Amino acid sequence: MTDTETPRAETSYESVDAVLDSLDDEGLDGYSYAYLDEHTKREVRRSILKAVAIPGHQVPYASRPMPLARGWGTGGIQASLSILGPTDTFKVIDQGSDESVNAANIRRLARDTAAVETTTDTTDSDVIQTRHRIPEEALSEDQILVLQVPVTDALRKVDPSDAANRRRHAHKNYGKMWVHLYENVVEWGEINIASRYPTMVAGRYLMDPSPIPRWDVPKLDDADNLFVFAAGREARLYAVPPNTDVEPLAFEDREFQVERFGDATCQFCGSDDTYLVEIEGDDGETRYVCNDTSFCEKRQDDPELAKDHHRERDVSWGPGTPSEGADATGGDGT
Amino acid sequence: MGYVAVKAGEELIERAEELFEKQRLEGETDPVSVDQLDEQLGRLSAQAMSEGGLYAPRLAALAVKQAQGDTVEASFLLRAYRSTLERWDETTVVDPAEMVTTRRVSPAYKDIPGGQILGPTKDYTQRLLDFDLDGEDDPEDPTQEWDIGGEEPPDTLDNVMDVLRDQGLVHEPDGPTDDDPADITRDPVTYPAGRDAVLQALARGETGAVTALGYSALRGYGQVHPTLAEVRVGRLPVKIEHPYTGVEATVTSVEVSESEAVVPVYAKRDDPQFAFGYGLTFGRNERKVIAMTILDASIQLDTEDEPAENPEFVLNTVDGLDSFGFIEHLKLPHYVTFQSILDRIRAIRENESVGAGTADESSRDADEQLAEASDD
Amino acid sequence: MSLLSADGVTRIYGSGCEACRDRTGDAAGTNQCPACGSVVACADVDLDLQPREVLGIVGESGSGKSSLAELLALEPNQDGHVHGSVEYANHPGNLLDVDYETRHALRNGHISLVHQHIRDGLDLDFSGGGNVAEKLLASGWRNYEDVRERVASLFEETEIPVERMDDPTHTYSGGMQRRVQIARALAINPEIVVLDEPTTGLDVSVQARVLDMFRRIQREEDVAAIVVSHDLGVVRLLADRTLVMRHGRVIESGLTDRVLEDPHHEYTQTLINSAI
Repeated sequence: MTDTETPRAETSYESVDAVLDSLDDEGLDGYSYAYLDEHTKREVRRSILKAVAIPGHQVPYASRPMPLARGWGTGGIQASLSILGPTDTFKVIDQGSDESVNAANIRRLARDTAAVETTTDTTDSDVIQTRHRIPEEALSEDQILVLQVPVTDALRKVDPSDAANRRRHAHKNYGKMWVHLYENVVEWGEINIASRYPTMVAGRYLMDPSPIPRWDVPKLDDADNLFVFAAGREARLYAVPPNTDVEPLAFEDREFQVERFGDATCQFCGSDDTYLVEIEGDDGETRYVCNDTSFCEKRQDDPELAKDHHRERDVSWGPGTPSEGADATGGDGT
Repeated sequence: MGYVAVKAGEELIERAEELFEKQRLEGETDPVSVDQLDEQLGRLSAQAMSEGGLYAPRLAALAVKQAQGDTVEASFLLRAYRSTLERWDETTVVDPAEMVTTRRVSPAYKDIPGGQILGPTKDYTQRLLDFDLDGEDDPEDPTQEWDIGGEEPPDTLDNVMDVLRDQGLVHEPDGPTDDDPADITRDPVTYPAGRDAVLQALARGETGAVTALGYSALRGYGQVHPTLAEVRVGRLPVKIEHPYTGVEATVTSVEVSESEAVVPVYAKRDDPQFAFGYGLTFGRNERKVIAMTILDASIQLDTEDEPAENPEFVLNTVDGLDSFGFIEHLKLPHYVTFQSILDRIRAIRENESVGAGTADESSRDADEQLAEASDD
Repeated sequence: MSLLSADGVTRIYGSGCEACRDRTGDAAGTNQCPACGSVVACADVDLDLQPREVLGIVGESGSGKSSLAELLALEPNQDGHVHGSVEYANHPGNLLDVDYETRHALRNGHISLVHQHIRDGLDLDFSGGGNVAEKLLASGWRNYEDVRERVASLFEETEIPVERMDDPTHTYSGGMQRRVQIARALAINPEIVVLDEPTTGLDVSVQARVLDMFRRIQREEDVAAIVVSHDLGVVRLLADRTLVMRHGRVIESGLTDRVLEDPHHEYTQTLINSAI
């Protein structure tokens, strides 16, 4: 918040003046630890527990107005602040980058109010808040990934009504979504969904995995860490607990495919097994760079570094693309 | 400067804030005081209180100042602040008939018990720019010569709607249930929403959004064309129960706008009665409260035929904080999802062997296909 | 053993009172209770349906036949107070008491309804093929080519041009939309199809072709059916046995030929004589 020099007015509102005085203090003194009051944090934690108990189910919770705009990570920050403690290390990424302005802003709020350490290193963090990406380095059972969610319901694609969709979830009635996929293939020859790929959790609830690229969807399956999905504007929380089956919807003969990058490699670290983004240079050339900037930096020091370098267990996901689509530009699958 | 690939994002944020603050200070005049805003631009702070759902005139004036006059931003500051406050007590229910009224009109009747009270309004003023206001000094109170002798106006007034209800012409609203009323700041709204949640959401709705949706019904996208029984502005007492004695005590009062309307859509076939609509919000905002009344009546029809009759549609679009945040979030970087969308269109063009098209063609195809893919 | 049997099925809209059943029905000449104003849509209906049989239910509008059909077809909209029982050979217990999930499962494999109103049965924004595919997908089909093949063969069977399969359903003619509904109802080889006013909104010539088509498939597939109509011609063409309903009660039943050639009840006689 911006400090404001308030003119001292002669007034009878003593308590209001006291309030204004406290707001004049440097930083966020006068606010609760981790911004939210303890009652609210307990309520959010309870909702998270409920979400963990029913994987993929959207739990309504009383999303509080935060000092950030709704749609800018207010759900994520409420979840993060509710589970962070002073001994935790916190990492925030936005579109894969620690240095994005919005990530920096969220990190700043957590550091100022919850007194947490912050880091950009995925393996050093206890809690990671992210918008639209899952880090490339495999997470462990000691870590929690909090994903910011703009649209909570995968079924919103086929019906805008929340009431109707809640009924469908209750009855595991996903016929409409399947018809959507069917018609996609009819029209385009394959499933034409880029991000927010509809995903089945534990064989029961259809989940919107937030706008992560398809590249990241397999990372949700049988992971060691807990995923918490939090929406502030829509006031819903949901979760994928560790070691849960997560399966993107697709047909046996029209398989789920992740993004393909052909022969492209990262311009900085040379990586060919990470999610890349195109950069249009001033010279008109298109270059590819790693989207996960923190892992890219590590790879620049050690190009052989595997995604599961710090782990006992091998990760089975990515960068593979099903052989179906691997013809012309094919995925450079391992 | 790019807004991502640059290190030291936090420093950038601080610089941007300082530049914004500079915009307020770079003029040559003295900073406007919170008191001046509170006293002279009360409509702005009233709107911020109404949309913020917090009655605190001086804090609202401060918020308006900090937001440089952006009322949605100001209501945002108030709500964010409110969410950090502990709740000490809950007030008891007050009857709006207890309102100490400064203005009250009843379009439904030529005369009403207690009389029409025009009060302070610009409704009938000719909208001519008053150039004397520019550079005025030491203005005089135009009412100081008034001779206010004779009878005192009554403290409280009978409600016009009650007259119609006594005659059995208006459908009775559902009585309160034994449960506590919903509190949409503590419990998320789920559908179907109770009327208590609907009225709270409308009362906190963004003024422009409430007005536009209310107008849509009136304009013909709906069946509701109400007759206003009454529009009032005045002060309502705020009462709490004494924590030890249990006696009700008035602790302060709040200025509110209230409106009630009858709607000639018959609520029942066998015993035809008018449907009705109700609106109440903090501060002086007759436009919003009338539009709220239309929407309340309209939502009670509960159809999916028209936007204003669909409770989910209205409640999901009317909140200023929600729309503000999600509209403006489009400014955030989206290059991860955009890369994913690029992958889809290239794969599909490859399948359909249209790779060799001209730039024009490809961008046209892109438009069509992005409609499918870019719905995050 | 019968495939489906109903015993004392009653559906009352409104508060209901003790006098409701006694003061409504054929003898009372109304279906609205004079004491409490409730509408007794149907009361004390007994029926049974044998495998491969087609049962007709005929009556004028307001006779309660559609209310009854909705109950038999497990429609999720269960307004009103419902009493009685419906037994189905492939499911233990009373069908009127099953929870939503069982209802959903039974409707995706056992009992299909062809709605009177197209909009209740089809999503007009989906393609015609998509509407039929939805039934297959909802019952677990996951192979795209298999779904395509099955939908195409259902289009052929119900005499819809297969090349129209991928067009939005709202571009179809009324007769084609009705055929899509029937194709959808047959998609997962149900045991029973309930047709509610299958000729509503169709030209007379189209009506005859749709009914002929249904009769052919019904015989080929050995599926049992309940056909609800105000039109004696429809039950004459399709039904082996027929129930006549009036004011929420079954007033006459028997083999269709017998009911139409030798009606016992005065109302049935009037109905037949007034038919064009």
